[in-house]
Amino acid sequence: MKMKPQPLSKIALLTALLSFTCAAFGQAKTGAAAQAAPAKQQAKEWEKIPTPPLHPFHPAQPRRIELPNGMIIFLQEDHELPLIDGVARIRGGSRSVPAAKTGLMDIYGEVWRTGGTKTQTGDQLDDYLEVRAAKVETDAGGDSTSISLSCLKADFNDVFRVFADLLRNPEFRADKIDIARKGLYDAISRRNDEPSEIASRVSAQLAYGKNNPYARIPEYASVAAVTRQDLVDWHNSHVYPNNIIIGIVGDFDSATMEAKLRETFGSWEKGPSVATPQIDFDPAKPGIYLVKKTDVNQSLIRMVELGTRRDNPDYYAIQVFNEAFGGGFSSRLFKNIRSAKGLAYSVGGGVGTAFDHPGMERFAMGTKSASTAQSIEALYQQIDDLKTDPITPEEIKLAKDSILNSFVFNYDSPEKVLRERMAYEFYGYPSDFLERFRSGIEKVTAADVARIIPKYIHKDQLKVLVVGNPADFDKPLSTFGTVTDVDITIPPPAGATQEQGEKPQASDAAGEALAAKAVDAMGGESRLQSIKSLQTNFDLTQNTPQGDVQMKMQATLLYPDHLYISGGGEMGSFTVVATPDEGFMTAPGMGVRNLPASQKADTLQQIKRDLIYLGQHLHDPAFSFKSEGNEKIQNADAAVLSVNGPGVSLRWYVDPQSGRVLRESYEAAGPQGPAQAQTDFQDWKTAGGLTLPYKRTSSRDGKVVSTSQYTSIQVNPSISPKLFDKPVVEAQSK
Amino acid sequence: MKARIAQLFAILLLLTVAAAAQDLASFEKRITVKKLPNGLTVIICRRPEAPVFSFYTHVDAGSAQDPLGKTGLAHMFEHMAFKGTDKIGTKNYPAEKVALEKVEKAYAAYIYARDKEIHPDPQHVQQLENAWKAAVKAADQYVIPNQFTEIVERNGGQDLNASTDEDETNYFYSLPENRLELWAYLESERFLHPVMRQFYDERNVVIEERRMRVDSNPIGRLLEQFTTAAFQASQYHRPTVGWTSDLNTFSATDAQKFFDEYYVPSNMVVTLVGDVTPERALPIVEKYFSRIPSHAKPDERITEEPPQNSERRVVLYEPSQPLYLEGYHRPDYRSPDDAVYDAIADLMSNGRTSRLYRALVRDKKIASDSAGFTGLPGNKYPHLFAFYAFPLPGHTTQEMADAIHEEIEKLKTQDISDAELKMIKTRSKAALIRSLGSNDGLATELGIYQARYGDWRELFRQVDRINKITKADIRRVANQTFVANNRTVGIIETAKPGASQSSEGSSSENQPPGNSPPAAHAAASQGGAQ
Repeated sequence: MKMKPQPLSKIALLTALLSFTCAAFGQAKTGAAAQAAPAKQQAKEWEKIPTPPLHPFHPAQPRRIELPNGMIIFLQEDHELPLIDGVARIRGGSRSVPAAKTGLMDIYGEVWRTGGTKTQTGDQLDDYLEVRAAKVETDAGGDSTSISLSCLKADFNDVFRVFADLLRNPEFRADKIDIARKGLYDAISRRNDEPSEIASRVSAQLAYGKNNPYARIPEYASVAAVTRQDLVDWHNSHVYPNNIIIGIVGDFDSATMEAKLRETFGSWEKGPSVATPQIDFDPAKPGIYLVKKTDVNQSLIRMVELGTRRDNPDYYAIQVFNEAFGGGFSSRLFKNIRSAKGLAYSVGGGVGTAFDHPGMERFAMGTKSASTAQSIEALYQQIDDLKTDPITPEEIKLAKDSILNSFVFNYDSPEKVLRERMAYEFYGYPSDFLERFRSGIEKVTAADVARIIPKYIHKDQLKVLVVGNPADFDKPLSTFGTVTDVDITIPPPAGATQEQGEKPQASDAAGEALAAKAVDAMGGESRLQSIKSLQTNFDLTQNTPQGDVQMKMQATLLYPDHLYISGGGEMGSFTVVATPDEGFMTAPGMGVRNLPASQKADTLQQIKRDLIYLGQHLHDPAFSFKSEGNEKIQNADAAVLSVNGPGVSLRWYVDPQSGRVLRESYEAAGPQGPAQAQTDFQDWKTAGGLTLPYKRTSSRDGKVVSTSQYTSIQVNPSISPKLFDKPVVEAQSK
Repeated sequence: MKARIAQLFAILLLLTVAAAAQDLASFEKRITVKKLPNGLTVIICRRPEAPVFSFYTHVDAGSAQDPLGKTGLAHMFEHMAFKGTDKIGTKNYPAEKVALEKVEKAYAAYIYARDKEIHPDPQHVQQLENAWKAAVKAADQYVIPNQFTEIVERNGGQDLNASTDEDETNYFYSLPENRLELWAYLESERFLHPVMRQFYDERNVVIEERRMRVDSNPIGRLLEQFTTAAFQASQYHRPTVGWTSDLNTFSATDAQKFFDEYYVPSNMVVTLVGDVTPERALPIVEKYFSRIPSHAKPDERITEEPPQNSERRVVLYEPSQPLYLEGYHRPDYRSPDDAVYDAIADLMSNGRTSRLYRALVRDKKIASDSAGFTGLPGNKYPHLFAFYAFPLPGHTTQEMADAIHEEIEKLKTQDISDAELKMIKTRSKAALIRSLGSNDGLATELGIYQARYGDWRELFRQVDRINKITKADIRRVANQTFVANNRTVGIIETAKPGASQSSEGSSSENQPPGNSPPAAHAAASQGGAQ
């Protein structure tokens, strides 16, 4: 339960880098350490210090209330400070979202709050709450979503009203979806900046499977695919009292609070309950995995496999093992790899557990590039030593003492007690699970630990990930087996050169009317939609630094995604073909060459900008047409229209009188980065019910680069199905 | 004194809109402060919510006190404070002591040959290095590794750690209340008889910490270069973790000297919060901590940073996404305007109503995050008030600078609104209340305020200072501080893929410096105003 998520957390990131601490995390001890112990005979000074019995302590248990509609409420009074905190946890989270919409819950978790309620915008809520130094925040996780509040006691009624309103009546306003989406795009673009982020992301994918819901990550495309309706649908299918557990802690009277909650939520009708999704795990093959990162001098090593669940009877022995092997300053890994060898600052690990799915078993460290192989060997050695040098009874005792003597810290505040109880309720664990945990740990023996080690630690099953700079490693990683390079290149957004990751904006009435007029001017929507293919002949004049080059061209366009261009000039004839499956060109003396992916995409992009293609999507909800004022073009006061659709984003400049598109402009990739590209359309002619421009002048950053004069445009020509096939003869390219 | 307390109560009453005033006022009754004859200050705060306590030992020395040529030493000693004492962590201290002295002699001989001889003989240097390593090995045989931390953990120690920054070094953990006497023993022994065992292995651990936080992290690299550029005279120009060459040179003897000078009772405040009473705890604390001999408080003066007279810029070309950071010099925490800076940070940065969020993230939609904060890299000495912004894809660092400067200009030329001023004041009261709800948080706050101001009550008076702030104060301080000549800019720009990085990084021990990864940065420039 996160009581107060802070939307702005990078300050912490910045300042944390300035403070240096002794420990990151660590683990257990070795044979060498075990040898040291026998030296003591008489009690040491510190062993003579008496330990009186602990003051009796009976932590207050929260009051559990179940409403007739299925809502569970926990009330925990804490009168120390005049504060009230609360959270509602709702079943269902990102693990239930289709992979193609990964990122949906990140957007939901943010816009649920920032998008405001039916009656108040998110900005109004911000003002209302901040002047009271209060928070109401929303969040989404793997298995649940949550909404929390935090306020001074005196403001509770004001703040609770916002909390309840947001819970029941969120509005998910589009402008905030836009901000959330941009924020996610930003996070995607930055996800390879820091080695630790790469290591945790990729190691989860190795342990769980790349597409497993606990490991997969948002991509530009999956974030772009999320719509406002998705957010509304999610809310409407999950947020019902029977799926909600509420916990409130602070300075209130339980009876009054109960009455308030009953009054607010009692009449809320039950809804469909949330099903737990069936999730498959598809771990990577054991072996060595490498992410190359050249701007680092430290390698991060992660050895992972699937862990287990907390309701596993082995859980207690596993916890004792974890403490002894990799848990603290006294653990084997910390002592042997950090203290004795100085190989790492950060080292530790163990068999991870989760409430309702396997946690991740993970052994991790960071070491200088030049001791990467040495460190892998050292970690392997620690795992091997578990057989030859089993965890000793002394180590078991130390681990159990550490867990049991610090046990009181599990419930040393009313808020912690509440948080535990809510978790057990959520996952269907017994409400006294914490007490069972204590007695479970007390019963663990050395034999139990010895039994679970071979059951859960399999050296030959580990997926070993290294994030680092292999040029500086002490030995090649192939020493340890087959190395698989992990490509972490971020898949660019669809139509990246044009889109810059922007989501199509909404159409407006003026824009739609103007687009309809442009479509009419070309021959009307139904005529455009009857066009399946187009063949054009044109004379192309290309302006090059060496002077103008003239060519006779023919282009055949099969909508929506097949393009064949052939042409010839003084230098001979060539063809370029681009389809979703193939991209190649032929040219004199070159044979057949595949187009680089980017060039193929650029070529196909031409269809997406085609006037007819865009006109065909006049009423496609995936396309938007938005009016953006007027601008003087070709002596006309052109109306500017922003056109957006999947993989395309450009502007049309439309003559408001004739409806003709005078110009298109868009951002194109150029050799020196993005360039402003535009094409002027002139010489409009009508043939076969279509009115189209026969002269097209293209410019980049204001300089004319080419002119095309059309000689014929033929609609729905007969096209040989082989036209787009790659020639079988892979000509003699060298 | 009485008047001050009355004033304090008045402030406390202001905080509490309705009931529960007694909870805040009760701090006066719950807190006992005692200065031991040796100069050590002890604070005991009763908070009997659960049978546990937390402590916070504040040592008024940080990396600003690192001796010349030994950057990172304060932090290094902090690591050594977990290595035990002459009784904890040793099989035979008399023999170990002799062995450790041999290590230091061998190390001094090795370092002299490595660094000082006119014509160093590589073979001789290698022999001396081997001899030193052999001496380390000989000393290691007496070590019971990690025994100090093992005792703490075995007894239920929680959140055991320590931290070092430019200003101070802090030690902390929590225990069940029945371990109070054990704690007093351990914490006093630690600062009575620390032993520099396993020093050189721990030094490698610290170098790994540097690689993790600085060398292999683009933001870490930027912050180090940025701070170094912003401060030229002040000791704040040195990184807390230390430069690699210093880390590869200083000795256990140096760490012991640092300890002898700065870890003296008059320079330390120990704060206990939790299920403890002064009746029971004070005699125990006196019994154990009075053993530490008294010593004059060390001179902690550092060089005063002269006024900056032109903008400075550091630009790193990195294989990572862009970031914009800028900082302005401001006076230290004792400045009468300290609270005004806090108010500006709150106004500009706190939550979605903050000016930078609204301007850059919400309205202009050019950044994913933007904020301003004070206390970079510390606040005990004159330091920086900084602003940063993370540009969204497709937006430039220049747009970040322009948008931040637009907001700064508003601060200088227009009064903030009544609603904003009210919000700042309300939030400072609420933030104080929220900081009082945990043993460890409270121990830290009380300890720092006692150490810095000589009186823990300053924690509560902060709110009063914020309450007195006027709109004119904010304009005045903004005009005084946020001027171009007083500015240092730090930028990460994305290096073009395939572009070779010029790496003039700090050396890493196994490679010649020119060959190392771009440990520090790709390009740095300093110079005149734009």
